[in-house]
Amino acid sequence: MLEKIQKSLNSIPEIKAWNIRHEKINGSQQYDLEKSTEAFRQVSSEQYTVDVLCDSLDGEGKPSSGVGAVSILPGGEINQALRQAVLTAQLVHNEPYDFPEPASLPNVELADQEYIKDPAGSIKKILVSLKEQTVSYPHVRLTAAECFGQEKTTHLVSSKGIDAHQNATEIYLQWVYLAGEGEDEVETFAEIYQRRIADLNLEEEAARRAQYTSDLLLAEGSPSQTGPVFVQGGSLATMVAGEVLSGSLIQTLSSGAMKYSGETPWEIGKSIFRSDVKGDSFNLWANRQLPYGMQSNTFDAEGIPAQRIRLILDNKLEAFIADQRFASYLDIPATGEFGNIELSAGKTPTKELTKDPHIEIAEFSWFNPNPITGDFACEIRLGYVVDGEDRKPFKGGLLLGNLLDALADITWSSETGFYSNYLGPSAARFNHLQIAG
Amino acid sequence: MKNNNLKPEMNQLRPLLGDVVATLESKAPYGAVVLTSRETVRYLVDNNQERVIVGDPTAGAILTTFDGHTMNEKAIGGFDKNELLQGVKDLIKNSSFTKNGSIDPGLERKHDYQTKMEQDPAQVPTGDKLEYLREMNRRVNKIDSRIVNARITLLEYREKSIFRNRAADISQDVQRVHMSILVTVMGDKGVVFDWDSKCGTAGLEVLTFSDEELEVIVKNAIKLLEADRIEPGEYTVVTAGGVSGVICHESFGHGVETDMFLKERAKAANYIDRRVGSELVNIYDDPSMPGAFGSYFFDDEGVTAGSTQIVKDGIFKRGLTDLYSATMLNIPRSPNGRRQDFSRKVYPRMSNTFFGSGDTPLEDLISQVENGIYLPKTSSGMEDPKGWGIQVTCHYGFEIKGGKMTDKMFAAIGLTGYVPDVLSSVSAVSSDFHLSGGHCGKGTKEIVPVTDGGPHLLMKVRLG
Repeated sequence: MLEKIQKSLNSIPEIKAWNIRHEKINGSQQYDLEKSTEAFRQVSSEQYTVDVLCDSLDGEGKPSSGVGAVSILPGGEINQALRQAVLTAQLVHNEPYDFPEPASLPNVELADQEYIKDPAGSIKKILVSLKEQTVSYPHVRLTAAECFGQEKTTHLVSSKGIDAHQNATEIYLQWVYLAGEGEDEVETFAEIYQRRIADLNLEEEAARRAQYTSDLLLAEGSPSQTGPVFVQGGSLATMVAGEVLSGSLIQTLSSGAMKYSGETPWEIGKSIFRSDVKGDSFNLWANRQLPYGMQSNTFDAEGIPAQRIRLILDNKLEAFIADQRFASYLDIPATGEFGNIELSAGKTPTKELTKDPHIEIAEFSWFNPNPITGDFACEIRLGYVVDGEDRKPFKGGLLLGNLLDALADITWSSETGFYSNYLGPSAARFNHLQIAG
Repeated sequence: MKNNNLKPEMNQLRPLLGDVVATLESKAPYGAVVLTSRETVRYLVDNNQERVIVGDPTAGAILTTFDGHTMNEKAIGGFDKNELLQGVKDLIKNSSFTKNGSIDPGLERKHDYQTKMEQDPAQVPTGDKLEYLREMNRRVNKIDSRIVNARITLLEYREKSIFRNRAADISQDVQRVHMSILVTVMGDKGVVFDWDSKCGTAGLEVLTFSDEELEVIVKNAIKLLEADRIEPGEYTVVTAGGVSGVICHESFGHGVETDMFLKERAKAANYIDRRVGSELVNIYDDPSMPGAFGSYFFDDEGVTAGSTQIVKDGIFKRGLTDLYSATMLNIPRSPNGRRQDFSRKVYPRMSNTFFGSGDTPLEDLISQVENGIYLPKTSSGMEDPKGWGIQVTCHYGFEIKGGKMTDKMFAAIGLTGYVPDVLSSVSAVSSDFHLSGGHCGKGTKEIVPVTDGGPHLLMKVRLG
């Protein structure tokens, strides 16, 4: 079918450039309750997505380029779909540009061979292992768990000569722990995306979640104070890199498309912060080459090879992230998709970060800053008031501030960790944040 | 069934589906098959670019067996007859079944449903749609020179499905449309934005904006440049319909999806027939609301759409179910079994979830507030079904002073509280009604179109 689509595309003279992505997905899913299995599912799909680029004249007679896209299922009608894509492309008017040329592709590790060997068996094993881990924590009950796995193969070909393959796996695991009884019962909800089973870190995660759950039973109301706030692990990763399936503030503000539209105030060579930097200096890479990173790939949807872009050095912006089109408009190198966030390690051991009295935030209800300004007011699901060995859990209350201001006054840990779409310091102390109880 | 607007390949497979169900039920107590196709197209015009983005289509067949204990499903991409028949064999061969009584397939029914539209997007040329968006972009940009960008987005979402079990042979062709206008302005403090949107299960006819509506977006975006931060504390607030809706969505929406009962995640499970709010609080879920963005004719398990009253006069009455949770909990079905697409499982999900209106005119409701905040718009919300905490982020709010609205704006505002405290504090409910449409996930996945809304509410909450 791929050859048929290529042949049809090559026979349409109006097309300036095209690419085809042939994607196949095979998935296995299992949904468990405390004492039974709710559902087993097997999923398979296959499709061809075609982008065509056409040049035309806009309403004022100026040269323009536009893309039309169409997805075709195996055995689907090709010519009619391509005609629709061409028609759309000719109606969309943007400044002229072209599709990317072929380039050498890095070798990025994306697929878990352990999962591929036995998908349904692997999913079952993960859930069994979670149950076995939970036995070590008799104060909590595992009342639900869902595990999905999928293998996705992509073959991209383009009129420019790109012919590339990649194979990637994704593992998703969520579970619920309960503790306590009756009206006082509490829960924690865990949700992890990884490419490899090994990166689920089940033993460590189960222990941490079990501890959180029992601490929630003892949690009191939130204090109101302004001062140092310590955050670590996945919660820190979410603050910096955003949720796995959505973007981050840094991703938005470093976007070439946003620069072109004048919607980001960031400028190359200038500090990304609106205030003086009082804490550690901020160094960040947009890294699509991170082994098994959830946002890693060998090539993106346009076929641009994975790169590790030095985005921010010593608080100053070094580059914008741009696809081929906006790179062409801004006259900068095309980086392709953003990828994962990688931060340089700090210089301070975690122990040192926590030696003075502070608030620790273990979990937010949802850390969702304004996607452009970075302002946030987020509910704290579990936190601790820490003073030496004294560690009092609390829940509720809001963490208030602005993410950029917060990152400008932060001390990073020297220890590092990998959390789905983030590689960097595993802990940090925000030196001055407000908590409203 | 020839003019049902379904894909030809779906109609070609339809005559086989009765036999497919019979084969599944030769081994399992219950079998069903769904053919489904979901397609999205997003049109975008802003000051610097135009795009037409075709979303990845999800199309395929779902074979389901259920024995009262465990569901087994095979989801097969596309509509190939041989793959479908092989899937039936594989599903039966690889699954074990416990006969656990009979599963009610519902009443005998046969019908083809279609969204009523004046302007079917499929019949409007792409060029006309783009020109409409360009004109909207020009109208917005004319309003103020401080506008950096005006992003106009039109989303078309078409869902076609056939559901077949031993009692039902039904199909639906549901057209959803959504248009948003996002205006960005830049000032000394940086970049800020405001937006408005309209949507419906309808044709393009519902996506019109008056000049006054566009001016309000621009005015509020500019006002955000000078907005103050609110002092954290407890406030008397008046929530507009969209904010009221997010409160009910996060409190007695997610928290009463009855898979949460089975997972023991829902505090509400212990509150059936108990008071959870003031007598003024009535909460409904209704996928049969004509034209609402979360509406459908039947859910993904073939149950005909209809209204479910969740909270009546402040008393929690019942939750929202799918086949599995209703069977396991031995409670009546509601039409809320929904899946993101063919690759995903069904869960009990909301559709159009809202507070019932009261009888207080809005002006009377505002006049009751000596010092308070008017909250017209949310940007997000998060549920906590076990702890009954609630987090709603409001894009901005206006001060109410001496029973009158003022121009003083605060942004951004986080609204939090303990659900029964928040709902018990509702002291007046306006007579108006507004639904806001969007998409909702369960955790970070399982995205489905929904609306939430209701009237203006007067209540006490914590803001920060």
